[in-house]
Amino acid sequence: MADFPMPPKERHLLASILDQLIPGSCERNIPGAGETGVADYLAHVAARRSRFDTALRRLLARASELADGIDSDAIRRLEQSMPMEFAELLTETYKGYYSRPDMRAKVGVGAHPVHPSGYEVAQESAEFMDSLVEPVRARGPFYRDPSKAGGGRDGERSG
Amino acid sequence: MASDPVDVLIVGAGASGAAIAWSLLETRMRILCLEQGDHLQDSDFPSRRDDYELARYAEFSCDPNVRKLKQDYPINSEGSCITPVNWNGVGGSTINFLGHWPRMKPSDFRTRSLDGVGEDWPLDYHDLAPFYDMNDANTGVSGLGGNPAYPDYTPPLPPIPIGKLGQTLAMGFNRLGWHWWPSDVAILSLDHDGRQRCVNAGTCDLGCAAGAKGGTNFTYWPVLENAGVELRTNARVREILVDRNTGLAKGVLYHGSDGQVHEQRAEMVVMACNGVGTPRMLLHSTSRLFPDGLANRSGLVGKNLMFHPLTGISGVFDEPMKGHEGPMACSILSQEFYESDPSRGFVRGYGLHSGRSTTPMTYALGGFGIDDPIPWGAEHREIMDNVYPYLAGLTVVTEDLPEEHNSVTLDPELTDGDGIPAPRISYRLSENTRAMLKHGEDRANEALLAAGARRILPNDSDKVWRRAGWHQMGTCRMGNDPKNSVVDGWGRSHDVKNLFIVDGSIFVTSGAVNPTATIQALALYIGDRIKTNIGNLFD
Ligand SMILES: Cc1cc2nc3c(=O)[nH]c(=O)nc-3n(C[C@H](O)[C@H](O)[C@H](O)COP(=O)(O)OP(=O)(O)OC[C@H]3O[C@@H](n4cnc5c(N)ncnc54)[C@H](O)[C@@H]3O)c2cc1C
Ligand code: SF4
Repeated sequence: MADFPMPPKERHLLASILDQLIPGSCERNIPGAGETGVADYLAHVAARRSRFDTALRRLLARASELADGIDSDAIRRLEQSMPMEFAELLTETYKGYYSRPDMRAKVGVGAHPVHPSGYEVAQESAEFMDSLVEPVRARGPFYRDPSKAGGGRDGERSG
Repeated sequence: MASDPVDVLIVGAGASGAAIAWSLLETRMRILCLEQGDHLQDSDFPSRRDDYELARYAEFSCDPNVRKLKQDYPINSEGSCITPVNWNGVGGSTINFLGHWPRMKPSDFRTRSLDGVGEDWPLDYHDLAPFYDMNDANTGVSGLGGNPAYPDYTPPLPPIPIGKLGQTLAMGFNRLGWHWWPSDVAILSLDHDGRQRCVNAGTCDLGCAAGAKGGTNFTYWPVLENAGVELRTNARVREILVDRNTGLAKGVLYHGSDGQVHEQRAEMVVMACNGVGTPRMLLHSTSRLFPDGLANRSGLVGKNLMFHPLTGISGVFDEPMKGHEGPMACSILSQEFYESDPSRGFVRGYGLHSGRSTTPMTYALGGFGIDDPIPWGAEHREIMDNVYPYLAGLTVVTEDLPEEHNSVTLDPELTDGDGIPAPRISYRLSENTRAMLKHGEDRANEALLAAGARRILPNDSDKVWRRAGWHQMGTCRMGNDPKNSVVDGWGRSHDVKNLFIVDGSIFVTSGAVNPTATIQALALYIGDRIKTNIGNLFD
């Protein structure tokens, strides 16, 4: 996806920002957003939405001026100085990262498209459901029915 | 251009339009439905794609202001803390609805008599009960009979699994001695009527590629089209026409798929455009006889807009809750706090719904109906690894009371693609609703802790979910008094005898349950009244 012409230096900068936004976890073998190529997704969005394109370019220009490199403090400064642009970047980063099936799987959700196979969820047995609702049934009717005789409070049982 | 006149012209092919068409089938009248959208094609379902979640923020957003598809009309909701959401096409909002299917309760129809608020309906629960049953059979509803919170009835199919999350929460409610019950759902727990049972995909808002959800695109419309009802798609009505001599509706003007404006004549016009779309059309249909909008001599067209303001509370449990597995809004429902109790500091009540949790992207972006991304950085990793999989939540769904200042009017500037004025929403939360939401949050906290949550996630209680105007009611309400209502007890306009309204706009009060079971039962009831009175329908 070479939608957004981004020189290698800028792409590297973007990847470092992304890794700060969604860091990976060595322990759980989860890559950060920079490592997974979310930058390509962002380039694709920028090519289609001029507002995002502008926001991204402005953020990168500002980030490249940050002398101390990209760490969480630098990102926080970026967020404070360009809140609107930053919010757009964050939203698109989350979309890019979690639209990847492999990243879904890392947080316990199926990598597969959910149709046609969906998920296997065991049906509770009738006996189990009966035992679970038993205390609720035991309380008896639990509603007000004004159309019934006796001033309309027939069905009522206060909790 | 004019087409052949028809007997019945229905505007809108959603939940209510389909139900009334089915009811009127046996009359053998010529029925035509005009729908501004189209059929959803099999290839349109995003849940068959790897990146299916992206569609929720683009072409399958529930918000027409985000989707911006050709068939959508924009909605100006700058003056509202809740924005109406919908789907425009065959099936209407049952395409992206979540299939939660509770009925309204007997007391909901008598709020004035019982609690001194709102108005009483001109009919009651028992009038509707046979039509609820009929509609449940047509739709394929799953649930467990014998819920003590209702007069006795049994859904036609057994309940869908409530899953680990539902079981965990149910035990919490049992510990507190509070009411709960497996949700009634318009979702198939078994293969039924040539349709496939639910595969627990969890993306009901993206249409249901399995056909298990009871959208009218899967239930009523195939039957209706086979039976000869004409469904004209890509046909957007711009105005209802009135005969200036008789004062009766004589048909509509609509924009056809050919880009031309057509006139369609009819003996009877039935509006089924949803609680925002219907008042919009009536307000746009002005004439010498009806300078303030058609059927609006009461001045109440567009007034008394009700949503169900809601908020959610989540608890973090020790084990994964697998909340993404199974229909997203449907597991269990507690109505412990549904009926009025003066000691609580508010009137009427709310339900505690156990929505399942959502998919990772939607969670990271703030949740369904919310635009408030979770934090970035180390905190993000921590939340996604150690909170998200372990979540179970409860949604507090409150009854909204009718207030005239909450309204749909026509926007003076904004229009749809055909130049028809867009609806403008003015809406604010009442103090009663705020008190209810606060009470509900506290009780949801208790229930989650009783169910074993190790901690509760903080909630900003001043906020309701914005993109959660799923339910739009009250804007053309029913009643016996023409000064105080738009339609009579069987959906017929007080002012225009051959104009009927069958969608959620005719609700008098909102209850605190999802409305579609009641919207369709009402449409079937109105169809029945039309058939009963067919001999002197327009007297
Ligand atoms: C995301 C979401 C989740 C929901 N979840 C639930 C749930 O779990 N349970 C529940 O009970 N309800 C739910 N709802 C609400 C439910 O979908 C609606 O209550 C129901 O569909 C309303 O039925 P209706 O016939 O009034 O309108 P709709 O079903 O919305 O149909 C109206 C139709 O009219 C058409 N139309 C409008 N204007 C024109 C015009 N000028 N010309 C031609 N056609 C026109 C529209 O295109 C549309 O197809 C949900 C809704 C949404 C959006
Ligand atoms: S969870 Fe069930 S009802 Fe919902 S979309 Fe999937 S198959 Fe359809």
